[in-house]
Amino acid sequence: MIWIILIVIVVIVFWLIGIYNSLVRLRNTRQNAFADIDVQLKQRHDLVPQLVETVKGYATHERELLLKITQARTAAMAATTIDEKIRTETQLSAALQGLKVSVEAYPDLKANQNFLQLQEELSDIENKLAAARRYFNAATTEYNTGIETFPANMIANNFGFRRETMFDLGQERTNLEEPPKISFN
Amino acid sequence: MTYVGIQTQIRRNNFNSILLIVTFPLVLLGMVYAFLFFTAQQKDPQLINSTFTNVIPFVLIGTSLWFLIAWFFHNSMIRMATGSKPLERIDNKRVYNLIENLCISRGMKIPQIYIIEDDSLNAFASGINDSTYSVSLSRGIIEKLDDDELEGVIAHELSHIRNRDVRLMIISIIFVGIFAFIAEMAFRSLRFGAFSRGRGKGNGAIILVAIVISAVCYLIAILLRFGISRSREYMADAGAAEMTRKPYALANALRKIDQDPLIEAVQRRDIAQLFIENPQPEEKKFSFSNLFSTHPPIQKRIELLDQFA
Repeated sequence: MIWIILIVIVVIVFWLIGIYNSLVRLRNTRQNAFADIDVQLKQRHDLVPQLVETVKGYATHERELLLKITQARTAAMAATTIDEKIRTETQLSAALQGLKVSVEAYPDLKANQNFLQLQEELSDIENKLAAARRYFNAATTEYNTGIETFPANMIANNFGFRRETMFDLGQERTNLEEPPKISFN
Repeated sequence: MTYVGIQTQIRRNNFNSILLIVTFPLVLLGMVYAFLFFTAQQKDPQLINSTFTNVIPFVLIGTSLWFLIAWFFHNSMIRMATGSKPLERIDNKRVYNLIENLCISRGMKIPQIYIIEDDSLNAFASGINDSTYSVSLSRGIIEKLDDDELEGVIAHELSHIRNRDVRLMIISIIFVGIFAFIAEMAFRSLRFGAFSRGRGKGNGAIILVAIVISAVCYLIAILLRFGISRSREYMADAGAAEMTRKPYALANALRKIDQDPLIEAVQRRDIAQLFIENPQPEEKKFSFSNLFSTHPPIQKRIELLDQFA
């Protein structure tokens, strides 16, 4: 009798260990997925100063926007945790998006070979960033589902697995979709 | 037909790969034993058994050597058979971008990229592990397809890699190659034997044995082709549709490929089965080998993709 109980306990323990390990695997997959994103983010950080320099010469009325981009870049580079990076990089994306709209007003700039090349490189990076984000978000969803489904959620709660954020364009996208507010005062 | 998901497909392919590696030496030893048994001068089981045990190490060492060489050099062999060359990033940024984006969105390692200098439209994937996986595209397919269509084709090839189809195919190609070699040797020695010794006493038996062995080889080759899931092309199409979310683009690409898939450099049937569509001229008349053709009809694949859209 005692043997049966012991065997049952051992089986349960191994089962719990299995669940714990699978949660760790999911968490690591998500972190590795973010490494792919990081590669692209670093390249974007390298590209931004060149872009700002080029635009500065032509678009004299955009000093404020360029300052915003530079600040967003500095903040993004200082970020250490994944959550911080997601927040600051989203701001940088939004700022760069703003630049894309404003340069429409400067035909000379749009004819500049150097600028065109930089812009092409930037859109290359952003395409790759979108792809990497897709993988990262898929991994995050899998992890979040993993820690919330029964019975893994009991282990997750006791061992500090918490719900993680996705890298989506949340705020940035709504900013883009809303028409700009114009006030006359 | 039962539903087969991608995870099931991967597991099944891994299992088949291991099964092939395990059963192949056994089949080969069985053939050696049969050969010894039927060609022995006196039918003394003990003598046959002892010769057999003496031969075992040579057979095993020989095949593992062959297998290792093929395992490490299959890439250059296939490249020679198809005439493909490495494609540099500078030469074609568009292809690199498409492949990199697809790989990144799946968290895959980026495979090597090769180009076949041929105006026809075709492509294939090969390799056995992360460092040897490669995708080869013909010059024609790169130039004649638009971005979405080419992306679909590349996603199809990446799906083959992801499903572990390529590894299984390479292993089967190596094994079938060894059998083909043995059959060839049997026929050669038969011919030379007939010339040098005239019509000797044991010749009838040797002829019989050689024919039996080559028949077994052929049977095994056929079984291997069947053992390898024939649904793999459909699976890869579905995988590509899921990766790109543009099934119609792949369907369009297949329609274009269907016009002109012939790669003149490819003459070997075993290499031909790697391609997205058969690169060899199809025999119009009814032939035995077409019964065991390696590619499903392209029309059916297009129909299935159109259902997705």
